[in-house]
Amino acid sequence: MYELKTLLPQFDITLPTCMYELRNVSLSAGATPGPAAHQIQCSGAAEVESNNTKTGICALDLDILGRQIQHLLKNQDTTAVLERQEKVLKQLEELKAQLGQIRASLGVRVCGKTVQHTTAYHNGGLKEVPLHDVVVNGHPNFIPYALLALKNAWRDLYTIDVKTFTHSTMADIGPAAREFEANLAKVSVNPALPKINVTLIWKNCEHTEMISSPTMYVPIYGEVNIIRYLGRVGPTEYRYENSPLCNEIDAVLDICYQLLRCTTHKSQVAMVRLLDKRLQQQQYFGGDQMSVADIGVYSSLIRMPAITDKDLTPALLAWRKRAKLITKI
Amino acid sequence: MVEEKENTASANTAAGQEPVSKKGAKKQAKAAKKAEQKAGTAAALAADDAAGDNAADHASGRYGLSEMIQSKDKRSEREFVSVPELSSHVGKGLVWVRGRVHTSRSKGKQCFLILRQQSSTVQCILAVGDIISKQMVKFAGNIPKESIIDIQAKPVSVPTRIESCTEQLLELCVEQIFVISQAKAQLPLQIEDASRPENADEADGLNIRVNQDTRLDNRVLDLRTPANQAIFRLEAGVCRLFRDILTEKGFTEIHTPKIISAASEGGANVFTVSYFKDSAYLAQSPQLYKQMAIAADFDKVYTVGAVFRAEDSNTHRHLTEFVGLDLEMAFKYHYHEVLHTIGNTFTAIFKGLRDKYSREIEAVGQQYKVEPFKFLEPPLILEFAEGVAMLREAGIETGDEEDLSTPNEKLLGRLVKAKYDTDFYILDKFPLSIRPFYTMPDPNNPIYSNSYDMFMRGEEILSGAQRIHDPEYLIERAKHHGIDTTKIAAYIESFRYGCPPHAGGGIGMERVVMLYLGLDNIRKTSMFPRDPKRLTP
Repeated sequence: MYELKTLLPQFDITLPTCMYELRNVSLSAGATPGPAAHQIQCSGAAEVESNNTKTGICALDLDILGRQIQHLLKNQDTTAVLERQEKVLKQLEELKAQLGQIRASLGVRVCGKTVQHTTAYHNGGLKEVPLHDVVVNGHPNFIPYALLALKNAWRDLYTIDVKTFTHSTMADIGPAAREFEANLAKVSVNPALPKINVTLIWKNCEHTEMISSPTMYVPIYGEVNIIRYLGRVGPTEYRYENSPLCNEIDAVLDICYQLLRCTTHKSQVAMVRLLDKRLQQQQYFGGDQMSVADIGVYSSLIRMPAITDKDLTPALLAWRKRAKLITKI
Repeated sequence: MVEEKENTASANTAAGQEPVSKKGAKKQAKAAKKAEQKAGTAAALAADDAAGDNAADHASGRYGLSEMIQSKDKRSEREFVSVPELSSHVGKGLVWVRGRVHTSRSKGKQCFLILRQQSSTVQCILAVGDIISKQMVKFAGNIPKESIIDIQAKPVSVPTRIESCTEQLLELCVEQIFVISQAKAQLPLQIEDASRPENADEADGLNIRVNQDTRLDNRVLDLRTPANQAIFRLEAGVCRLFRDILTEKGFTEIHTPKIISAASEGGANVFTVSYFKDSAYLAQSPQLYKQMAIAADFDKVYTVGAVFRAEDSNTHRHLTEFVGLDLEMAFKYHYHEVLHTIGNTFTAIFKGLRDKYSREIEAVGQQYKVEPFKFLEPPLILEFAEGVAMLREAGIETGDEEDLSTPNEKLLGRLVKAKYDTDFYILDKFPLSIRPFYTMPDPNNPIYSNSYDMFMRGEEILSGAQRIHDPEYLIERAKHHGIDTTKIAAYIESFRYGCPPHAGGGIGMERVVMLYLGLDNIRKTSMFPRDPKRLTP
């Protein structure tokens, strides 16, 4: 056992009268906020140490607690110390629970840590902070079915919590959008899973657009790009940026983007042919695993009522059946 | 004429400054000659006029000052048509119209007169002919603006649109004209000036404005502008929708006393009035009475009535007397039942205004350029903590338990608008420490409370909460806030005989109208505003 030496010489500091004392901000209000002990004895320090290893508590708090323990020790009041310790332990438990909650809400960051790091590396060290609260503006004539498809596909992995609103520029949203809303509401929410909050606003706007934070990021336009974003913040199984299929998936999503912009039936069918070429005899686009590319294609095809089963190849039809089992639209 | 004026002006300056030069003398001579000529023509004109006046007036009896209407005759044979309905009477003969003279100018043998009825205007024409005499044209040209007249006229369609009137496709050929009530020849403000659009960026346009105080001093004239007509019709709409929507939701309208014995909230900013040998106060809020109505089993109540605040603040959004729309509602288990009811009431009011008052909104927009009001359905509800997080993201440092300052409140409004594109939102779960003592604390988190504010265009319009309905707990909370419980004994007493859990809130009608229309001053939406500096008219 040894005694720590104070860094400051033991002066009696006389405070000027123009200053006032700050209130003790520690959670354990009611404890005697006595003057800071100049000497830190080892026992107190050891206790702090042991606490410190249990959880990562804020240093400032411990400092104050340590001082309070010192103060009580000096008074030779062991029962009080015991009580205090009990209280401290209880507070630590509470803190642990709080941290647990935070961890749960940011689940992705914890479980997908490695992925995050590598993307950051690929981006040249840029720090990426996924946003868990986004707004999607969509026109009832161009329903973003991908949200529902992803919600269903990620049922057991990740929660997309969608709240729907109607903007004052839309007098009526129509039956299709209402049905879509009802279907969204049907998917059960598992509170244990990490989640993203999506506010879907039916609005008289030209493009489907996504706004994450007006002060930090520009809006993202197009349903396909929203899928890309969600694919980035969603479960690890659907992150594609580091997979060897990255280029393939991007190419498929780009075709979807073009498909949604086609106005004539002929050009739409041409795009479907391109998709068929990409799919060939695979189970899903880019391999035998469902990916965001499948979500993109599936939701785009729903938005194109002009494309009937006749326009689809047998391979695409078979794929559509497989995808339907997962997307459930 | 212009040239002549210039000449005389230059001649005058020349004469005043230096000995008259040769050129100057010439000019003077020229000017004198012109003046002589002018006098000559004027005399001729006068003679002509006199001759006209003396000549037999074949239109006498078809015009003149009508005797004061004392309800002597019923005159039921005269069928009056309103200006907006005139279009269906084109080519169908004579009609009677009553309205105000908006402008009138006679030019030789013709007189153009614009007749106004509230916000609608129509052009009338009088031309000397078989029916109309010269004297009649002169009479019509001399009617002071804003006088009320009756005319009998024939609506006829016109080949080119009349841009200056609301009835652009027709005009009235007048056959009879009577002045019912004459206005003073000199008006303290011109209606045209008062209704001129406020375009700050249009530099070349006419820039004559009527100052706000002049408007308020002559409110009767000012209220005749199309924008003001629309504002107060819309205000009536807000009240009507508030009543209709709540009545439909099962609310009962109650009337609360305005003279009260004790200050209901705080006590600093109340008006004192003498009450026989004692003194009384003017009610600052009907809250206590709303709550008593709830305790008396009315379940859901609302009230519309005057509210008085003796706050000496001269801002764009404070009045000392305004109309409060207050509601209070008992709920079963969660105050969100009330929150959603209030939120949905607002959305329904906004929708009603959007759908039924589009003409009024457009009329206001003609004068005051503002963006249309946007909202979401169902209304957007954010938690206070989320709002604070949004502010922090924008780089504002604000504490968890700190109230929103006015600039922060506005900034948050802008952030919410940028993200969700809505001018109306609700902020829920305010910190307990910044709310009044009767606010119910949040059972899950002691920092917060079951209270909410609602915002329009970034300004707070409603502040409400779940109230504590348990007398013992109320006393505890009051003591915690350092409030003398003897002073609020009556309030606490009203919960002693059982009271359902309830919540509510109140809004200022003028403020809602101002923010809905995006106007910059609350005095624009109060017909006869009362503020610390104005007690008349």
